Amino acid sequence: MAPLTIQQATKSFGGLQVLHGIDIDMNDGEFVVLVGPSGCGKSTLLRLIAGLEDITTGEIRIDGKGVSRLHPKDRDIAMVFQSYALYPHMTVAENMGFSLRMRGESAEVQRRKVEDAANILDLGPLLDRYPRQLSGGQRQRVAMGRAIVRDPKVFLFDEPLSNLDAKLRVQMRSEIRSLHKALKTTIVYVTHDQIEAMTMADKIVVMRGGHVEQIGSPMTLYDAPANVFVAGFIGSPAMNLLTGRIGADGRSFELAGGGTIRFDAPLGAAAGREVILGIRPEDVTLAEDGSPATIKLIEPTGADLHVNLDVSGTEVTAVFHERLSIEEGQAVALAVPAERVHLFDPETEARIAGD
Amino acid sequence: MVRWQRGLWLFFLPSFGLLALVLLWPLGYAIYLSFFDYYLGSGERTFVGLANYADLLTEARLWNSMWTTILIAFGSVGVEFVVGFALALALYRLNRSAKVFSVLLFLPHIVTPVVAALFLKWMLASNWGFVDATLLTFNIEPPDWLGSPVWAKVSVILADAWVFTPLIMMVLYAALQGLDTSLIEAAQIDGAGSWSTLRHVIVPALIPAIIFVISIRLMDVFRFFDLIYVLTGGGPGTATETITIYTYQLGFRMLEVGKASALGVITLIVVAALLLTINRGLNKAYRGGDQ
Ligand SMILES: Nc1ncnc2c1ncn2[C@@H]1O[C@H](COP(=O)(O)OP(=O)(O)OP(=O)(O)O)[C@@H](O)[C@H]1O
Ligand SMILES: [Mg+2]
Repeated sequence: MAPLTIQQATKSFGGLQVLHGIDIDMNDGEFVVLVGPSGCGKSTLLRLIAGLEDITTGEIRIDGKGVSRLHPKDRDIAMVFQSYALYPHMTVAENMGFSLRMRGESAEVQRRKVEDAANILDLGPLLDRYPRQLSGGQRQRVAMGRAIVRDPKVFLFDEPLSNLDAKLRVQMRSEIRSLHKALKTTIVYVTHDQIEAMTMADKIVVMRGGHVEQIGSPMTLYDAPANVFVAGFIGSPAMNLLTGRIGADGRSFELAGGGTIRFDAPLGAAAGREVILGIRPEDVTLAEDGSPATIKLIEPTGADLHVNLDVSGTEVTAVFHERLSIEEGQAVALAVPAERVHLFDPETEARIAGD
Repeated sequence: MVRWQRGLWLFFLPSFGLLALVLLWPLGYAIYLSFFDYYLGSGERTFVGLANYADLLTEARLWNSMWTTILIAFGSVGVEFVVGFALALALYRLNRSAKVFSVLLFLPHIVTPVVAALFLKWMLASNWGFVDATLLTFNIEPPDWLGSPVWAKVSVILADAWVFTPLIMMVLYAALQGLDTSLIEAAQIDGAGSWSTLRHVIVPALIPAIIFVISIRLMDVFRFFDLIYVLTGGGPGTATETITIYTYQLGFRMLEVGKASALGVITLIVVAALLLTINRGLNKAYRGGDQ
């Protein structure tokens, strides 16, 4: 349990700079998720925190203490690897007790702590097995057990669920959540899956190309994405991002590809201004007095209906939770509440404040 | 589990036949001959049962050559393994620039053993050889490398190590390349120092490769012949006479083909027993080793 701060962290491999001045403040006991597309530097940042890579410039503090020059074992962190990295020739109990053994704890203490952790994770019956005799989900749990046993200040997870099937992933997601609730240890968790980030995090750090794009709670990122990238990255299906300009009356949007979407209230930008207009698929409704559109494609997922609409040549995705009697090719009218619309500057791609 | 298609064994037949011809037939013939009193050239063979074996096993010269073989085998494989492993680990940490270095280290292994032995013999020659000449410039009186019983053994061991260390290094280096680096990182985070990481993580992961390389080296070193033959010819006296050298003496100098065959069979049994024991022992010490 400890706050973790990262100040102006940069990392270069030879001449290639992969992290450009990262600043993150994590509170004591917080569940922080680093999310971003492949290659954006999430793992590298996590490895900097762990001490598996040397920081190029900047500082990392755990519990107020600068750790940037410390060996991994002196940072009081535990890490769960994507490949689990269980020692193949050691039993589950030996795997979990290895750090205690290296620390010179007595056999008695080792046994007790391993059993405690095994109880938390339901690993009791597996303690004498070897990793190769375990299923993927069990291995994953052992890897977490190995981390818990150490009672570290910070847990680091690098895509720990990516090798599991979809169902197990959902289950492990909530297990890790409840584990965090019980242990109250600061967690830094890397994933490229925005749903994992949304469901698990207290705080999400969205990264792209070695930069932090936005830091905030899941709902902050959802409700007020700071830029076009975050807007498109958070949420599934992705937000519709439409280019065009605000209409002369200030309450309509003229699509660059032709056609107009009308709103029930003024949009938060000056009439005539070029903008990128963001609409979440789940904010789209069908209404009698809406803007004309045609249904191009209907994809039922069971719970929801994903519908691709054509608005004068521009495609807009909508998600409906209710069952509608619509069919492909049908002409409909769509409406979006003005207060649910996101506006971005087409030049800077930043959110236009005041909407 | 790999399941083999039925009838596939037919494809093994030609290669198996060839193997039987060049490998099993001579072996069987050697075992057969070992029961006869047979001098090369005399043409007549008399069946003597196990007399050849009895003769050999009560002979001091056999036991002497057996101990010499074991000493040289374990000495050289020991030196090769320790140095080869250390070099492999060094290479593993060095990466790029080390590639050139590794080729250089491999040079002695590319040279034919006989040539390597001739080269070493010249290096070790008394007084004017490179080694002696160098030592003498520092006013160090060099030992008689190939002439004294103890130093001759040491020289033979070092000669073998010089030729075969690169092989062990390359095999272990290749095995290290296949190691999951996150295991080493996990050990680092778990607080293991370099030595503990080596002992608890790296060595166990390399056990199959280690068993492989030690086994082939031991098998090889028990057949150790060319280097010794050129360097010392088994001398001084019988100080470096290994089983193979003794077998050669029996078969080709004394022409006692029956007895030489019996010695060959004894060697085979000793080597097989030794390899089994080592394999078992290593696998037991590191239970995770694939079995
Ligand atoms: N050891 C290294 N040497 C050189 N470049 C590296 C090294 N490790 C990572 N990189 C580069 O740094 C960038 C960030 O890599 P990183 O592994 O942190 O990405 P990531 O966000 O974890 O991606 P993923 O989701 O695919 O795991 C990549 O462009 C990668 O090629
Ligand atoms: Mg990664």
